[in-house]
Amino acid sequence: MTVTDRTITAPEETLALPAGPAIAHRPLGVFTRPQGSEGWRSWLFTVDHKRIGIMYGAAALFFFLVGGAEALFIRLQLATPNGSVIGAGTYNGVFTMHGVTMVFLVIMPMAAAFANYLLPLQVGARDVAFPRLNAFSFWCFLAGGMLLTSSILVGGWFQNAPDGGWFAYAPNTGLLFSPSKGIDFYAVGLQILGIASLVSAINLIVTVLNMRTKGMSFFRMPVLTWMLLITQFLLLFALPVITVALFLLMFDRLWDANFFNVEAGADPLLWQHLFWIFGHPEVYILILPAFGIVSEIIPTFSRKPLFGYHFMVASGIAIGFMGWGVWAHHMFTSGVGPLSVAAFSVSTMFIAVPTGVKILNWLATMYRGRLRFTTPMLYAVGVVSMFTIGGLSGVTHSIAPSDTQQTDTYYIVAHFHYVIFGGALLGLFGGFYYWWPKAFGYKLNEGWGKASFWVMLIGFNFTFGPMHILGLQGMSRRIATYRADEGFALWNMVATISSFVIAVGVAMFFWNVYVSTRNWRRAGRPNVGPDPWDARGLEWMTASPVPEHNFDEDIEVDRLDHFWHRKYGKDESGRIVRAATAEEVAHDGSNTNVHLPSPSYWPIVLSGGILLVGYGLIYNLWLAAAGLVFLVGAIYGWILEPADDPDAAGHHDDHDDDHGDDDHGDPDGNGGPSGNGESASPETEEPETEEAASVG
Amino acid sequence: MSKRLKALLWLSSLLITAGTVVLIVVSIVVTDDHPLSTLSPVGRQGRDIAELINPIFIVAGVVFFLVQGAVLALWWRYRVAGSDTGDGEFGYYEDDEFPEQIHGNNRLEIAWTIVPTVLLAVISVFTLVALFALDDVKASDEDVVVTVIGQQWWWEYQYHLDGDTNSPPDFVTANELVIPVGVDIALDIKSRDVIHSFWIPKLNGKRDAVPGRSHDWVIQAEEPGRYRGQCTEFCGLSHGYMKMVAVALPPAEFAQWRDNQITPADIPQEGTPAGDGWATFSQQCANCHVVNGVTSAANRGGDPESAPDGWAIYGEFNGPNAGTYTDELVAGAAPNLTHLMTRGTFAGSVFDLYLNAGDHIPYLNLADQATLNRSDLEAWIYNAPERKPADADDLRGMPARTGLTPTDIDNVVAFLSTLD
Repeated sequence: MTVTDRTITAPEETLALPAGPAIAHRPLGVFTRPQGSEGWRSWLFTVDHKRIGIMYGAAALFFFLVGGAEALFIRLQLATPNGSVIGAGTYNGVFTMHGVTMVFLVIMPMAAAFANYLLPLQVGARDVAFPRLNAFSFWCFLAGGMLLTSSILVGGWFQNAPDGGWFAYAPNTGLLFSPSKGIDFYAVGLQILGIASLVSAINLIVTVLNMRTKGMSFFRMPVLTWMLLITQFLLLFALPVITVALFLLMFDRLWDANFFNVEAGADPLLWQHLFWIFGHPEVYILILPAFGIVSEIIPTFSRKPLFGYHFMVASGIAIGFMGWGVWAHHMFTSGVGPLSVAAFSVSTMFIAVPTGVKILNWLATMYRGRLRFTTPMLYAVGVVSMFTIGGLSGVTHSIAPSDTQQTDTYYIVAHFHYVIFGGALLGLFGGFYYWWPKAFGYKLNEGWGKASFWVMLIGFNFTFGPMHILGLQGMSRRIATYRADEGFALWNMVATISSFVIAVGVAMFFWNVYVSTRNWRRAGRPNVGPDPWDARGLEWMTASPVPEHNFDEDIEVDRLDHFWHRKYGKDESGRIVRAATAEEVAHDGSNTNVHLPSPSYWPIVLSGGILLVGYGLIYNLWLAAAGLVFLVGAIYGWILEPADDPDAAGHHDDHDDDHGDDDHGDPDGNGGPSGNGESASPETEEPETEEAASVG
Repeated sequence: MSKRLKALLWLSSLLITAGTVVLIVVSIVVTDDHPLSTLSPVGRQGRDIAELINPIFIVAGVVFFLVQGAVLALWWRYRVAGSDTGDGEFGYYEDDEFPEQIHGNNRLEIAWTIVPTVLLAVISVFTLVALFALDDVKASDEDVVVTVIGQQWWWEYQYHLDGDTNSPPDFVTANELVIPVGVDIALDIKSRDVIHSFWIPKLNGKRDAVPGRSHDWVIQAEEPGRYRGQCTEFCGLSHGYMKMVAVALPPAEFAQWRDNQITPADIPQEGTPAGDGWATFSQQCANCHVVNGVTSAANRGGDPESAPDGWAIYGEFNGPNAGTYTDELVAGAAPNLTHLMTRGTFAGSVFDLYLNAGDHIPYLNLADQATLNRSDLEAWIYNAPERKPADADDLRGMPARTGLTPTDIDNVVAFLSTLD
């Protein structure tokens, strides 16, 4: 599916290391680095941000199927009054896992897929700042995801699944009230996922701050880069809060601590505060990447620059800050007192302002444009339309007295599905269609894409639209069933039927991937070229699929939408005319003389150790001890492995000094320095280098 | 664009439009019973909330139509026909024309930042006024205060007729909260285990019952009637089956009901079915269920020592730490059944106690039980967890009593039928 001709090349006269230095590079003999960039092994050990991004996306889509299946079970159970399809106990596990899966294992990693793949490209870098850490983020995420998801199966079907809701309010999650292993899986699994996200956040922040190419000042960064950067900062500050909460919960359950034990004097609101101080920024962590994607797609298919770039960036930053001041609107009925309720009610109302600014700027971008309703554009406009509905219902929640009627009803379920499905997920799917040719060299089929979009959109609206009505008619959330005389039967049936329409739309997406790949192969794998959509960002300024080294040479950016301005200029009358074709401007990936970081065994080994520790904490501390040995060993391996495999790639003489890349410093200070110890850097000072055989 | 695709698109838009129309029409036409609806408040607080939010719904609706209308208008006006399929599967789309490259407009940006800010500022003023008015729920000292206690998975109501929640309650009921019409009733909401939320949508919003905390709330009904409620904070296994009812009676009837509730039950005559049922009840049920005047502390045998550690949280209300509460008036871990037959529902208001009774529930000490829902009641006594998920091994919910013979159950029902 991916490129077949990736090559890692070495100069003919590989500064053949004499025995001495080679030994110094392999202190214990076993610590060589893996080689090659083909075959399944190369995926396990890769440190290439693009492959890691693709793996994030694939894993997220897998978990999306799991979470989607859970959603269908929820809808089946609620289709009729007194439903008994799965029963109350299983139902609680299913809706908890649906929420946890969709938030932590679908939307977040999907956004991580785009962040990994696109952030370095959009800022003109060769890779992220810490490639091995990046690989670790992915494998650690997968470990956490597998641990959480395995809870569905261990000890029987949903016998040990978390059953306290994704919000896991204390004290219902205490051992007394939730005696199964479910909440242990929740607490441990989310901590592992938190490690993954935190590491990734730091990595990406450093990448954006330090690795931007020459001339890429902050206000020349694409809005997607900005939104992803803000998202990483939100993660950086939000994850420690939930980690503290989960840590306390874990101690309560595993070692009889009393953090949430009311009998011992605890106040259950402590958990709520900790959870929502994380939980509300989390909402913006979910939605901001989609906002960024929409901000890339709409200008491209309107043939206009984004309207109000600075305001789009500023509103994103404003959301990032204000997102910290609204958490208690999840607690209007919890008894936090009228003054707190008043304060959070008002702050919540005003967070609608920057969000509204974004909607209006997108509309203004489309205004007087030349609109092409390709599949990505349909998804992007779908976000504008659907997110608006979620935003408006959000404003009605901020009216605290009214929220006492709405909270914990299906009105809320409708609201956040319009935000997370209608906003985040549609945006991310639009991103799949938009950047698919960039990642794989061919487009997804437009016909199937459009059909899939409309089926999904219709199913979505008839699943979650009626939930507004159900909520106002008084149907509570998280109830496994309802009485026949409560009048909820009609809309629940509509929602259930429509949820299967969504499932059909999702199936059409996967069918589209299959059909498009098949057609592309049958057609002899024609390459779509670097810039199939006539787009604006730097990621389109290199071949598709993106070569392992990203760009043949460093790009010097002279303004926002640099790539677009290389393609188009103005004639004397001020008319826009093509100055160059994309092929002329874009790099063709032919530079084989680029030094790249070698793959590494240790990120996946380290993650395996964490997985063992996770199961060990839940089942047997000896297992955790074994995992710890694994983990510590992996850290040593990580530290001791040579910066390079001396037998594989060309140059290893510039890796011991952190800032050895003098050749592309940043004298004008406009962009960041674009190299450091682990990052890839072009080796332009070796003109005698020749092509070498591909490895692997 | 291929013809088939175009047809599909049109079909989709038609479906959306038609569907939306149907949705709206049906939701208006189907105004049948929604006993939990927030849209038809009957209480003062519920009405205040509705009056606050309804205009905001309208404003939101206007914004909704403006934005969606703008999307559709831009689509219709600026879409370049044929541009969305022109590039084939593997090729490029060629377009040499460009619209004017507008990068932004600061005045516009400032305008659409300020306008919604002002709009929201206005809304926030109304919100704050309503918020503090609704929060002003202090009842005067003499008024009835009801301590509402949530637990897995039913509600207990302790009536303090003198308004003093520190003294023993005058009587205790479960699941059906009876109040006089037109009077603000102060509630003191607590929990014995996990967090629950007390919600009678037609009367007022919800308020969480948090263990270790005491929350003030108030409800008022403007008309007599039965108003359904539902626990709305997820509280574990049987959360969906934790319901309740608020019953508003005219003041005179309320007084009559109140006087009846204070009266203890009589021990039925030995040798009658009810008498035999009482014997069975004492052995099988009275460990947890209290019937004032009939069961005693000895029956309850409530031995907190044998319970799991966390169970001690119940001590505040039960067992050796019962404090000032008198044993006879306080339920065990289960609903007080002293006047079971004056309630319309049982088992956390999941089952109707009377069939097809409508509003004719014998709140007022009526002995006519022709419509008693025997089948559900008997099934419940025989095997409760089958009817409502529970985890009796961990003292959460009512255990099965499958050892009882049909005669035993008939007798127990006969005994319960005397509790009016």
